[in-house]
Amino acid sequence: MNFEHCFRFLADRLRDEVIVTSAGNCSELWWEITGETERVFYLEASMSLASLFAAGIALGSAQRTVVALSGDGAFCMNPGMLMVERQLALPNLKHFVVANGCYGSTNELPMPFPEFVDYAAMARAAGIERVHEFATLEGLAQALDEIVTVPGYIFSVLHVEPLGRRARSPPLDGPELKFRFGRYLERSGGPAIFDVPLPIGGKRPPLP
Amino acid sequence: MEAENPVAASIVEAAAGCGISLVASLPDGWITPLITRFAKDSRFRHVAVNREESAIGLCSGAFFSGIGALALMGASGFLTCIYAITKINYTYQIPLLIGITLRGRPGDPAKFHQSNGLYLEPVMRAIDIPFVAIERGADIGRLATAYRHSRVMSRPVVIGFTREMLRGEA
Repeated sequence: MNFEHCFRFLADRLRDEVIVTSAGNCSELWWEITGETERVFYLEASMSLASLFAAGIALGSAQRTVVALSGDGAFCMNPGMLMVERQLALPNLKHFVVANGCYGSTNELPMPFPEFVDYAAMARAAGIERVHEFATLEGLAQALDEIVTVPGYIFSVLHVEPLGRRARSPPLDGPELKFRFGRYLERSGGPAIFDVPLPIGGKRPPLP
Repeated sequence: MEAENPVAASIVEAAAGCGISLVASLPDGWITPLITRFAKDSRFRHVAVNREESAIGLCSGAFFSGIGALALMGASGFLTCIYAITKINYTYQIPLLIGITLRGRPGDPAKFHQSNGLYLEPVMRAIDIPFVAIERGADIGRLATAYRHSRVMSRPVVIGFTREMLRGEA
């Protein structure tokens, strides 16, 4: 499916979820389409950890659905994430691998053997029960509500074509992103993140 | 039957005392009793990762759900995390407590860990990551100091456990 159409569809449908995007096209295209600066953490600085970063958020935020968008280049750097995510089995974590078979933000240099690698099969082999794979927007449209709204960890592969152009990085410095995202989580019902009591002499003081 | 390990128990109590409730670990032989202790303690969610960088990613995300976290690993594993630490924790200024073994120091009989004795601490200095050595049982309280320092400076802090301390010999 067309990468941009896919992300425009996701951006239109994922209105309430917390989003974590991995380095490269996932961050760049989500930013280009949405311009969002609060409920999205653009984890542009690191490949391969977006879904585990999202898992950390989901771990203490049972009331939220957290969506991770990882590129296939990022996924291949750390496929062991599947076993950790299975172990966590977080009902509010939804992991999408965006598979375009190339390193999109670095001039779309091809990944080795993308035609043979089966990410969905890898997830099933890791014991993940709810695995989806979509090559068309229509298929994704039919399943997305169930993926997002029915509790349970889900791993989904989105087969997209290379973007075919460069997209802009979000123009946000790291600390600005941290505070925008964290303050959004705090004021939308999450626990205190920044202003928590710190341990003194080995003991954490009681909450005021 | 597993022998009681008072050092592991003390470290676990220190972690609980400062509000840590998530421990992500990958084993090193020196800290298997400690990892086991964390895994059995209902005050903690213990996650066994299969790559040390995954512990950095998971614990860094947990910061945004208000969870106190400890990434626990061997010295060699820590050295594989430089990319994740400098790109995630430094770029976004996300605090994190990282516990490591001080492999390769005099007294470590493992020849294959001697490179850590040579390069571990220089690498930590090279990336300006604060380092707190826990060399004696009396130092275990410094875990809370290191955790607090990480929060205050919004950067990761490393605590390093010596072999003698972990074995209850210092």
